[in-house]
This record gives sequence, structure tokens and C-alpha cells, in this order.
Amino acid sequence: MNEEKELTEETQPLVLKRLREKFPDALLADAEVSNGISIVVNKENSYAFLEYLKTELAYTLLVDITAVDNSNLESELLQYDYARFMVVYQLYTFEGETQRIRVKVPVHEKDLKVPSVTSLWKGANWLERETYDMFGIDFEGHPDLCRILMPDDFEGHPLRKDYPLRGRGERERFNFDKQNA
Amino acid sequence: MGLDFGHRAEPTDGNILTTTIDKVVNWGRRNSLWPMPFGTACCAIEMMATLASKYDLSRFGSEAIRFSPRQSDLLIVSGRISIKMMPVLKRIYDQMPDPKWVISMGACASCGGVFDTYTLIQGVDQFLPVDVYIPGCPPRPEDLIDAVMQVQRQIDKGALPKGSEVA
Amino acid sequence: MQAGMERTTGEKMVLNFGPQHPATHGTLRIVLELDGETVLKATPHAGYLHTGFEKLGEHLDYNQYIVVTDRMNYLSPLSNNFGYVLAVEQLLGIEVPKRCQYIRILMAELSRLADHLLWLGTAALDLGAFSVFLYSFREREKLYSIFEKTTGARLTTSYTRVGGVFRDLYDGFETDVRDFITNLPKALKETHTLLTRNRIWMDRTKGVGAISPEEAINYGLTGPCLRATGVSHDIRKAEPYSSYNEMKFEVPVGTNGDVYDRYLVRMEEMIQSCRIVEQALDNLPDGPFSVEDNKIMLPHKSDAYGHIEGLIHHFKIVMDGHGVQPPLGDHYCATESPNGELGFYIVSDGSGTAYRIRIRPPSFFHFQALPHMLEGGMVSDTVAVLGSLNVIAGELDR
Ligand code: SF4
Repeated sequence: MNEEKELTEETQPLVLKRLREKFPDALLADAEVSNGISIVVNKENSYAFLEYLKTELAYTLLVDITAVDNSNLESELLQYDYARFMVVYQLYTFEGETQRIRVKVPVHEKDLKVPSVTSLWKGANWLERETYDMFGIDFEGHPDLCRILMPDDFEGHPLRKDYPLRGRGERERFNFDKQNA
Repeated sequence: MGLDFGHRAEPTDGNILTTTIDKVVNWGRRNSLWPMPFGTACCAIEMMATLASKYDLSRFGSEAIRFSPRQSDLLIVSGRISIKMMPVLKRIYDQMPDPKWVISMGACASCGGVFDTYTLIQGVDQFLPVDVYIPGCPPRPEDLIDAVMQVQRQIDKGALPKGSEVA
Repeated sequence: MQAGMERTTGEKMVLNFGPQHPATHGTLRIVLELDGETVLKATPHAGYLHTGFEKLGEHLDYNQYIVVTDRMNYLSPLSNNFGYVLAVEQLLGIEVPKRCQYIRILMAELSRLADHLLWLGTAALDLGAFSVFLYSFREREKLYSIFEKTTGARLTTSYTRVGGVFRDLYDGFETDVRDFITNLPKALKETHTLLTRNRIWMDRTKGVGAISPEEAINYGLTGPCLRATGVSHDIRKAEPYSSYNEMKFEVPVGTNGDVYDRYLVRMEEMIQSCRIVEQALDNLPDGPFSVEDNKIMLPHKSDAYGHIEGLIHHFKIVMDGHGVQPPLGDHYCATESPNGELGFYIVSDGSGTAYRIRIRPPSFFHFQALPHMLEGGMVSDTVAVLGSLNVIAGELDR
């Protein structure tokens, strides 16, 4: 839910307290949401942060990795130094009070690189490929970063805000002789 | 026997039946259309329902579902066709032996349906000759049966499929 | 092939399986590298049914998008409708009346039954058991007619609305559903007799495509596939949404995480769903079936046609920029769909259209884990394993 409460020393969940102690400089923002907490972490620490969440705090289930193109969302742009993209991780724990954690990592357009978490979760492989396919974000250390949903010879990244809904004419042109199924 | 070869068939004395070879061939064809179901999305589920217990497409001679294009003469395109899938569909169509009919089942296959997006073909008829379109999202099983019967009627009339006119 | 025969030849062969293959249920594609009959390497390919759902979400308003969610998982559209509107409602911060929650649970559980029945039919069909397909479709047709009477459509239901459902249950719904759930266990028994102790079925499914609980979590499996490995995790229990906390039901778990266990887990889940449906029918509260807030729900048609206020409300909701407008922010909401965790992550910029809708499909993870379950096995197991995962292409590719 949206009413993100300011967290004081007493009300903050235990998990958040530990995270704040462990990564004092990495946390750009945090808030409690209806089903867990939402944290913004800088890119330099994102891998260590997620690793810590997985190994020390038992957030073993990687629920999702995706991204948001913030280019039309003024408030987010202002808050995070005009970072165009926000890579979003959703984690889940089978133990403990705070079941869900959302980790967001701002990414600037001129440096579209985020460390890959495939070494932590095998499930991250396709999720990162999809995010690459749809947004063009590069996951460093990914074993095989290639398109997954769109054809290999597709140009552009459809979920970026500057990509038109109806495409750029891809659906009307085909070279059936060249393509093989 | 319930055979009806049209006005030219004249039973002469006894057991001889005269007709034209075309009529016999068409009669055979119409009653044993072998569909190649190219089901991709929700419409494919309705297609399955048409084949299953309640609606039972076999009453119309089309129960011999062949998943190999080389053995079938009726392509049922049911579902959304993306730009990644279109070359596959085209290839399957090309592999089917002549004469071949195409049914485009559902809004998506016929015109893109509710999905006017970058990845979806807005109607397979841009790339394939379609003989019968079925409206609906998804069409009811009755609609699919009706489409198969329409193909049968076309065959009865001796009409060639669209595909052979193009070729 | 006989057991003990030399199967490996030392030569590699590449087999392309799909995207148009009867056992792939649509548009899945797997490239198998074989040595004799042993699978050395399996590479699944996705994307053949990519439809651009997420992009479309940025262009349709919140209620229009419900139509799209139907078509994402066409085995159980009602669960998708439910999951989506729940996410929007939580983003809006509203709660729907009790009767509506119960109706939604009823419909979600019935659609779980519909999903599992279709899964059962096709998975058995893939292994050659055609009669099971006919049996389960016979039952599914009954559900279709219940859905049709309630929502107006057999498959693409679009039943829920942000803030409620679009109409109340029809008279006689209760009798129809009670009829169905009393008969279903009998019908399932037929399937049990056909399959559960059947030698061929057991040979082809037991120990095939097994995955350990740790690996399953590592791959992000959820739903029946995770439960078959022995992890008792069900979002309906872990984070009860809607009125699931008032329902009594068990979460069936397996032990080996193989195809056979997935089959048993799903069979048992159907029985549990029947229980939930029964309880929901017994305790179905009276009252309104949607929120009585004119800013969120469309007024009744007679109101819109007969009164000026009704007309204004109707007009305001359907006009761009006046309807459902969640405040700035983002929210992730997960529900237990028949296949596993179905999540909607919605970012709102305060307008009537979502800024970004991300769908977390369970099938995506199941399909990804396929190589792990196939490699080292026989090529004929591919069909069994793939069938057991119930990968739905519409949901996988979106
Ligand atoms: S026409 Fe409708 S039911 Fe058929 S594939 Fe398209 S969206 Fe699905």
C-alpha cells in the first residue's frame, strides 16, 4: 500500500534494522509497505546486499526481477539523480515476520550495467534475460545474456517508454526466405 | 446408402452409379478432412473442447487430428500469432500437401483481436490464404464446427481453396 | 526399449522439439541434445506467444486491463482476474465487501478445478491415456456452463471489476455448484482407478523429472510443483488474502518432487478446492457484491439510464482521467493461482492508466527449470515432465 510510514527506531522491522547496520551507506531509501519492506540500494552494493539477504536473512526465494523505465515519472527521476531505469527484485522468505522484500536499484542510462545474481539464484537466469530483452539493461556476469521473448534479430527494447506500442513496423515485414524456424 | 453425388448421378438398373471422378473425390475429401491444429493460445483450448467429449468433432469426419502437416489438408490457426511464430506457421503451411484449406479461428488469428501490439501479427491473412474466418474471442465450439462445415460445403461445390488460386 | 539395453552410442544428436508439437501444448520449444536415448542437454526456448501484455498495461485503464488478464492464463482466467484486481485494490487501499470476497474465492477455486482438470486430461493424453482426457473434459464442460451462466462467457470471463464483481451470482448457482462438487470426487475416483496404481502410468511417472526442495526453491518454483517436493508453501495459507483465512483446507505435499507426486498433489488439491467451495457456499454472506463507491464501481445499468446522478457517475468512471486512479506509488501483490505464485507488480503515476504493470508468471520459472529435470533422463520422459509442469504459453510469454 502507499502510505509508506516513516520508520522510527522502535517500529522498524528487525530485518530492516540489521540491513541498516550492515549497509549504512548503501541504502538510499527504505519504507514499510503492506506486505513487507521496500528498499532502494545503490548499484555498487546491490550484489552484496542481495547476497546478504539470501544467505544471512533467509530470503531464499527469488520471486521476480524486472525493471521500470522512469523516464516519464518525474518524482522518481528527481529523487534518484535522473537514473532512467530502476531494476526491481522481489524476494520472499519462508521464515520470519517480514515475508517480502522489494529491492530497487537505480541505473543510469549512460551506464546500463547491473551485477548479475545468477550465481545466487538459478531462477535469475531467465529473469535477467527478459529484463535485458525488454529494457536493454546489461547484467554483468550473466552466463548467456541474449533475447528471450523477442526474435534474435529484433531491434529495440519494447518496454522502454520511447518504444511505441504498435512497434516500428516489425509485424508487417518478414523475409521468409531468410528466416528459418 | 445416403450417397448424394448431385444431379449427374443416375442410378441405372441394378448397382451401377454413374458420376464424375471429381464428385467422388470431393465426396471423399469433404468427409475426411484431416485437421492440422495450429493452436497457440486460448482459442486452442476451445478447439480442444470441440474435439473432446461434448462437442465431438468426429461426427463431421474430422477427428483424425494430425500433428504432422504432411498428413493433413485443413490448417486450423487458432490463437495469437507473434512475429516469432509467423515463420513457423508459414513453414507448416508450405509443408502441407495440396489441396489445403485454412481456417482462421478467433479474433487474434483473423485480425489481431484485442492485442494491437508490437509483436502480434494483425491477421494471418496477410501471409496465408484463409478460406474461412471464425469471429469470436474465443469462438464457441459450435462456431468451429460450423466453420468445418463451411469448408465441406465449399468442397462440395467443387471450389478450390484460396491457396491454390494464389499459387 | 528394454531395460538394461545399451542405449548410448557415443554420438550426439540434436532434436528440435516444438514449437508446434502436440505435447508442447501450444508454443513451447525445446532443443534436445541426445546421445542415443539419453538427454544430454535440454534448452528450452520461450517467446513464441509473446503478446506484449505488459506494454499494453501502460495503455489501457485499470478496468480495461482485466480483459487482458483472461487471455494470459486461459486455463483459469478467473484466478487471473482475481489476482489482478486484488493488486489494484490494494494499491487503492480499498477492501471489497465480504460477499464479494466469497464470490471471488468461489470462482477462483472453481477455476482451480478447471485448470487441474484440463491439466489432468492433457498430461494423461500425452502419455497415451486418451480416456482420461475425455473424462476430465466431461467434468470441465460442466464448469464451463457454470462459468457461462455466471459471467456470460465460457473461457474469457472478465468477471471481476476493481472494487467488486460485475454482477451477482445467478439464481440456482448454489444447486449447480453443489451438484458439481458432489459429483467431482466420484469422477476423480474413476481417474484414480485408471491411473494411480496403473503399472504403465507409474513406470512412466515415478522417479521421472525429480527435483529436490532446495533446487526447486533455487529455481523459483511455486505452486503444485514446489509442493510436490515436500515444501508446504501455499500463499493462501502463508499470506491469506481476501477471506482465505476463514476457510479450512489442507495443503497437500509430495515427497519426491517427481511427475507422479505432482500428479498426486494436483489430484488432492482438487478435493481440497471442493472443500473450500463447499464452505464458501455454506457461509456465503448476504449484502452488496461490490463496493458502494460511485467513484470506483460503475452504477447499475438501470441507474445509468434512469437517473441523472447514475449517468454522471457512469460518465465519470469511463472518461479518461476520472475513473479509478490509484495514488502515486507501487505495489506487489501475489496470489496462489492454480499453477503457483501469480504476482502483479503495479507502478502508478496517479493517473487512470498504470505506469507499469509487471506480471510474475509461475510458468516462466517452471519452464526454466525444465533442463534440470530432463538432463540425464530418457528422451521419452520429456513429454511426461513437460506435461506435469503445466506450462501455459500465454502466461510464460505474456
Ligand atoms: S481470439 Fe481471444 S480467445 Fe482466441 S486466442 Fe485471441 S484472445 Fe485468445
